[in-house]
Amino acid sequence: MSEAVDRLVGLMPGGKGFDLSYDEVRDLQVAAINERFQDRVGGIKMVKHRAEEAGISEIRSLEDVVPLLLPHTAYKSYPESFIADKRWDRLTKWLGTVSSYPVDNIDLSGVQDIDGWIEACQAAGHFVSCSSGTTGKPAMLPATQADLDFAGQEGVEAVQWGSDIRPGDLRTMAGYGTVAQTARNAASGGALMQAFADVSKIRPGKGPAITIGSIIRMIEMRKAISGGSARPEEIAEYERESAARQHVLDGAFSAAVDNLIENRADRLLIMAMWGPLYQLAAEVRERGYGREDFHPENAVFLGGGLKGATVPANYKEYIYETFNLQPRFIYQMYGMQETQTSMARCATGGRYHIPAWMVCLPLDKDGSNLLPIGAEPVEGRAAFFDLSVDGRWGGIISGDRIEVDYRPCACGSRSPSIADNVVRYADIEGDDKIACSGTIDAYVRGVS
Amino acid sequence: MNDMGIAQSATPDRQIDSAPFFVKGAVIEGADVIHRSRDLGVDFATPQVDLDSLVHPRTELPPLLNTPLAEIIDFLAEAGQRLARPGNEHVEACIERMSKVSLQPVQAIRYLFANALEYLDRKVLWEVVEKNFPNPKALDEWVPQTDHTGRRSYVRAYAPRLVHVLPGNAPAQGIRSIAQSALVKSVSLFKMASADPFSTVAFLRSIAEVDPTHPLARSMSAIYWRGGDEAVERIIYRPQYFDKLVAWGGGDAINNVMKYVGPGFQLVSFDPKTSISMVGREAFASEDTLAEAARRNAVDVSIADQEACVCSRFTFIEATPEQADRYCEILAHEIRVDRFGDTIPRSLDPELKEQIDVLRMLDDEFAVFGKSDGRGVAIRSDTPVDFHPLQKTANVVCVDDLRNAMKYVNVATQTVGVYPFDRMAGLRDHLASGGAQRVVRLGEAGPGTIGAPHDAMYPLHRFVHWMVNEDGCVGEG
Repeated sequence: MSEAVDRLVGLMPGGKGFDLSYDEVRDLQVAAINERFQDRVGGIKMVKHRAEEAGISEIRSLEDVVPLLLPHTAYKSYPESFIADKRWDRLTKWLGTVSSYPVDNIDLSGVQDIDGWIEACQAAGHFVSCSSGTTGKPAMLPATQADLDFAGQEGVEAVQWGSDIRPGDLRTMAGYGTVAQTARNAASGGALMQAFADVSKIRPGKGPAITIGSIIRMIEMRKAISGGSARPEEIAEYERESAARQHVLDGAFSAAVDNLIENRADRLLIMAMWGPLYQLAAEVRERGYGREDFHPENAVFLGGGLKGATVPANYKEYIYETFNLQPRFIYQMYGMQETQTSMARCATGGRYHIPAWMVCLPLDKDGSNLLPIGAEPVEGRAAFFDLSVDGRWGGIISGDRIEVDYRPCACGSRSPSIADNVVRYADIEGDDKIACSGTIDAYVRGVS
Repeated sequence: MNDMGIAQSATPDRQIDSAPFFVKGAVIEGADVIHRSRDLGVDFATPQVDLDSLVHPRTELPPLLNTPLAEIIDFLAEAGQRLARPGNEHVEACIERMSKVSLQPVQAIRYLFANALEYLDRKVLWEVVEKNFPNPKALDEWVPQTDHTGRRSYVRAYAPRLVHVLPGNAPAQGIRSIAQSALVKSVSLFKMASADPFSTVAFLRSIAEVDPTHPLARSMSAIYWRGGDEAVERIIYRPQYFDKLVAWGGGDAINNVMKYVGPGFQLVSFDPKTSISMVGREAFASEDTLAEAARRNAVDVSIADQEACVCSRFTFIEATPEQADRYCEILAHEIRVDRFGDTIPRSLDPELKEQIDVLRMLDDEFAVFGKSDGRGVAIRSDTPVDFHPLQKTANVVCVDDLRNAMKYVNVATQTVGVYPFDRMAGLRDHLASGGAQRVVRLGEAGPGTIGAPHDAMYPLHRFVHWMVNEDGCVGEG
């Protein structure tokens, strides 16, 4: 029973999801969320718990959805000790609390480490992505093959809606970014490359990959230091490993610059976030190259915000100038790992458009109440229900503050859209907090 | 745009509370700069900072240097009586403003105020001095000494120049800091926190009203700037102006300070702490002993809504999971008792709530007692949870022997409440070795023994500038 869901998700091919106005889809979206709810509430324990607490048995309005939204930290809620103590059965049980599908089909025999656990999950159809989280504790997001397929194709459609980049462009890939090796990233990245790149020119093992194992090692080390059990030689060994890793990262950056310069005559597709892209541009100029050297149809794929990077005020112009970028080949999107839908930026309005199967719920700062949706833009905490998500719950509360407008955009698209001034609440709160109660973490130096 | 770069989303006619400064005896009013209280996102306004006014040149003697300690103590006691007088306008205005910017309920704030004012008592202050200094006369005079070879010297506990970075989660810590600064006759600059930019100034104003020209009033200043603001810190955090920075608490505001610490500018830090409880199997001797232990444990958890450093967050108990569950049931019930008459508690931070609720679902490892409604919960586990227990969350960890819980004691552990009491002697050496600083009877984390060391030091002893004047040998001219 997923008629409403299918109708909305079915709009993805061809970018048709950006054509419909909010008024045309709002009732269908609520019906679709209810379909997801009825279908999944029994299986996803975290949602079931919330539904029981809130006394919700049916979704009739967006307000009903709010108590069922998961904070983005829900996917980090597993006890660290499950990984540190190699309790794979426990970790799997935790996965079951957030996964749409039962996890009892995962064969844990022979699992030695976290990478082995992920492989075991994958073999059973649970594609678990781990993020590299800023606190060091990775978020673990289950997905199904259907999710990987959708995300791959959707990413390609969104690029075409938001730019003049087209399949068959045969672009040379370039860029830099530390990307966690996950099934999800491989699927999305793979689909983009298949569509837009000259795959014959792609060299394997391009960028530095951060394995989940290395992130976990960082957590273990932090625990060992704070607990006092880490011996000096262990810490020294860890610091040597970290330095070596940093060295690899630095080398990869240098290689990324070399790659750009080597292929400067080609029509490129540069994939990066703003911060690293600025650094690439600066280094390219440092080596004596610039606009005249680069192709007029170069394209860039930009996701994510500045994420705390320090750049000068004119960083965008600097980047466009360096790589000879025209606006129509600049693709930007807003998204988050907990969902899988790209909100593509329109050129005319400079706004991120929300396709019809992605429901945006603006909440108050606390995340407890839905703000009124009317004829005016709404500023609040971004929450979404991504109807395309299959392997986990599609409802998420983010850490971002957005300004969303549900009216048609000046660019001609009638879908709701978000202004290009997204910030993380954590970044704007300031750091003036001081308290006399705290954890041992303050006493641990060098393991971030 | 204000100094935090936040576009003003405050409605133009919304009243923004003013947080005046107190500088060397004078109150400085002004609303030149608007700041945001980190905890509740509420704005307050302060005057512009006048950097020159914050320092006393070293060419001038500290104003309190030759004021007798006895007079200082009398002065503080009288100021305390003024502050304690019901309806003191400064205190009332202060409590009202604080309840808007602080996370603590009003009743808790009043309680903490009253508690802090108990410090401003003659007997208490004398005892603090006597415990901190083998010879308190050194605060007033150059005390003669001779070593066994006959070399003569005079020692003075000389008035230091201090910068204090005050915490935001302990309203009225300012009173204690002011008193301690006065006892050592210091020149002191207090930097207030955004969660409490009011109380220290309110106290100083009351003190100044006793006598505005008194050297004590002239020795103290209290202002606000955003922690980490280099425009202020790079300029004044220098040994030319101050001997020591006293950090009451931690977090980013303190991390920023480290780069200024160096020769001549030292850090005295009361670091952030996680306090704990330890309960022996004796608690299970009877239903009464079990209830007694759990009740005492709950008292230590609930102090100031579990915001203070002394609050118990983890309890290590010699018990099986089944036994621990019986304990947790009572503990949760006791924690959830409304001791301050606040009928509507602040709802749990969503991330904390999520963490707790996930543990409910992992029910072969964990048991959770009490609803996630902000009134308090007890969580039973076999290892400590990996998130920081806040908002009256007590994590009860089963161990087979309290000695085996020592691996969880570290330098961040401040207070350890123990039950039964006769086990303290057998545990304290190990606790100290692990890094803990204070062992108490379970249930008594709140009250402090007057003059006892705090965070492993004698604070007043650490504050002063120990000066010696050596003067030849006995028998010489």
